[in-house]
Amino acid sequence: MAFTNMLKNAYRDTNLNKNIGNITYLFHRITGIGLVVYLILHTYVLSSAISGKDSFDERMGAVQNPLFAFFEILLIAGVFFHMLNGVRISICDFFGLSRAHKLFFWIEMILFTAIMVITIILQWPKMQSGFYPGM
Amino acid sequence: MAEKVSNQSLVTWFLQRLSGLFLAFFLFTHINVHHFLHREGLIDFAVVVERLSGSFWWKVYYLLFVPFCVFHALNGIWAILADYRPSGGFSLTVKALFWVIGVAMTVVGAMTLTNLFGAGV
Repeated sequence: MAFTNMLKNAYRDTNLNKNIGNITYLFHRITGIGLVVYLILHTYVLSSAISGKDSFDERMGAVQNPLFAFFEILLIAGVFFHMLNGVRISICDFFGLSRAHKLFFWIEMILFTAIMVITIILQWPKMQSGFYPGM
Repeated sequence: MAEKVSNQSLVTWFLQRLSGLFLAFFLFTHINVHHFLHREGLIDFAVVVERLSGSFWWKVYYLLFVPFCVFHALNGIWAILADYRPSGGFSLTVKALFWVIGVAMTVVGAMTLTNLFGAGV
């Protein structure tokens, strides 16, 4: 419940004060929490390597199909939004450029869009049948 | 009356930025190699072992990557919780829990990696 309240409050604050800083703050949090969840799943899948080759191949095989190739696009979107936004706030803070944060935001959005276009182009074949053996 | 203020949150704030900037570099490379440049077939044990044995630096890279990730993740969640002014007892419990989770995840990560490094370690 605390978690849903947190998101509700963040949404309310963003709604009351609709500016770039607040919206990116909300997205930074949401993507951050999402990436922590992903990190746990990633650790679960990869840690099968501790039990050896066969269990690793089995668990890795379960997450390599066209559906997961689509999920990967969402994952990469979360990663690059969080990354570019993190770099933006670091640059603004460390170099005293807070007044230019909106300009940096639009630069961030251009880079983000470019990366996502490349990501979709690269992931597209993986979402078709035939890319993965036996699928 | 002047209150004595702890610098702990300032230090963790700074470390969050620092680990974040490292992760920006790490993740860019990681996603390129393991997602974008992977163009055919399944990624399996043999593929990963072959990739990681390509250079000694992959070992250094991943053994640093895991603790940076774990720290950034847990410290980030802690920063969100701290925004809601948790009570002393709750803070202490969460911090203790996060240290246990953090150490456990780092150890599991290192064990996973040494298995994937193949015979080269």
